[in-house]
Amino acid sequence: MSSTWRSEITAVLGKELRSEIRSKSGIVTNIVFGLVTVVTVSLSTYNQQIDKDIAASLLWVIILFASILSLPRVFLLEEEQNTADLLRLMGRPEAIFWGKALFNLIQILVTALIISFLFFGFTHSPLTVPWLYVVSLFGGCASLAGTVTLCGALVSRSTNRSTLAGVIAIPLLLFLVEMGVSGMRVAIGPFETDLVLGGGIRAGIGLVAYAVMTFAVGPPLYAQVWKS
Amino acid sequence: MVSVSEAILEGVLQVEKLGKRYGSRWLFRDLTFDLGIGDRLIVLGQNGAGKSTLLKIVAGLLPPSSGRARFEGDPRTTLGMATLDMSLYPALTVREHLEFSGRLRSCPDRSDELLERIGLQDASELATSQISTGMRARVKLAMAIQANPTILVLDEPGAGLDEKGRQLVAEIVKEQAQRGCLLLATNDPLERRLGTHELDLAL
Repeated sequence: MSSTWRSEITAVLGKELRSEIRSKSGIVTNIVFGLVTVVTVSLSTYNQQIDKDIAASLLWVIILFASILSLPRVFLLEEEQNTADLLRLMGRPEAIFWGKALFNLIQILVTALIISFLFFGFTHSPLTVPWLYVVSLFGGCASLAGTVTLCGALVSRSTNRSTLAGVIAIPLLLFLVEMGVSGMRVAIGPFETDLVLGGGIRAGIGLVAYAVMTFAVGPPLYAQVWKS
Repeated sequence: MVSVSEAILEGVLQVEKLGKRYGSRWLFRDLTFDLGIGDRLIVLGQNGAGKSTLLKIVAGLLPPSSGRARFEGDPRTTLGMATLDMSLYPALTVREHLEFSGRLRSCPDRSDELLERIGLQDASELATSQISTGMRARVKLAMAIQANPTILVLDEPGAGLDEKGRQLVAEIVKEQAQRGCLLLATNDPLERRLGTHELDLAL
């Protein structure tokens, strides 16, 4: 990557980080949502061991909803606050996509880590394969960030943006959530070598591949939307 | 004015049979003009005549319904634009806007020079949500001229500006005449005097 591209991408990333640190709108919404849902789950299952399948699904649903509350907004906000034209005049679409996707990745990783600590702290679920959990979490967050950034970018210039972003995101996210749940189910269930080497590793590789695909496809696709 | 071939060679603006239609209503159609170095075109017309729309099409922010506007070079550095309806990032400071704009366009950092130019050195660390509308208009002007563009597009640049701000606009317009061409949409009689040519969209 040339220094010009790097400078442009980090300029967008820096702008997003500064805006978020000063306004704290996205991350606070995510964490409050995560805290409320984790506390609710832990209260409703007080003194009971949550089944690994349900625990993995719950964890993913919490991370998914926390992220789709705020992530598509990085593009939609530009339109709503009338800064989109400023960006179109000054930037290259690929650099803008990368900058915003990286910001989304940082935001969702921070959210997911905090939710994980809260979840394991409140529900006392066991973590039997930590490395698989980390791979699933990182791969899942990267896929989620790439997908949601792409959906936000694709609908940014249309009317009914928020509704449309959700409609486009659902089929893309279903597959991703399924892989995420599979990986985490193995990571937090009783240790079984066959399960780890089979479904666990397959889910981890699938999530990482999905993330690579969304980050590779996103910039050229957004550049086409930008031109039209 | 210069001829078409010269204009393209010099990196200035060529507009050919340009038209914009919303539904069945044409805002304007068949607009054809070339702008060379030193040309300053004032775009006139009542509200809704399509002044801002024309400027946005030239800048590539809106697609035309017919015809085309073209110029040579990277649009990010060849064309600078400041409009009334374009907002700044409320959480970023004045200086951060100039730095951000410079880095996105990959041009050298001129933040200090531009801050002095627009008279906002003392407000450089204030967020743009904390400064006045006139000051925000100056920041937009500074961002528009940051890359020394060949084509400068200004939409009602004097709106909300005090006397000093209007002088700044006049100075920037004069400098632009040395560097390239200017498109300025206005209904202000004083700003109208800054042009070398006029285009009335009401006609």
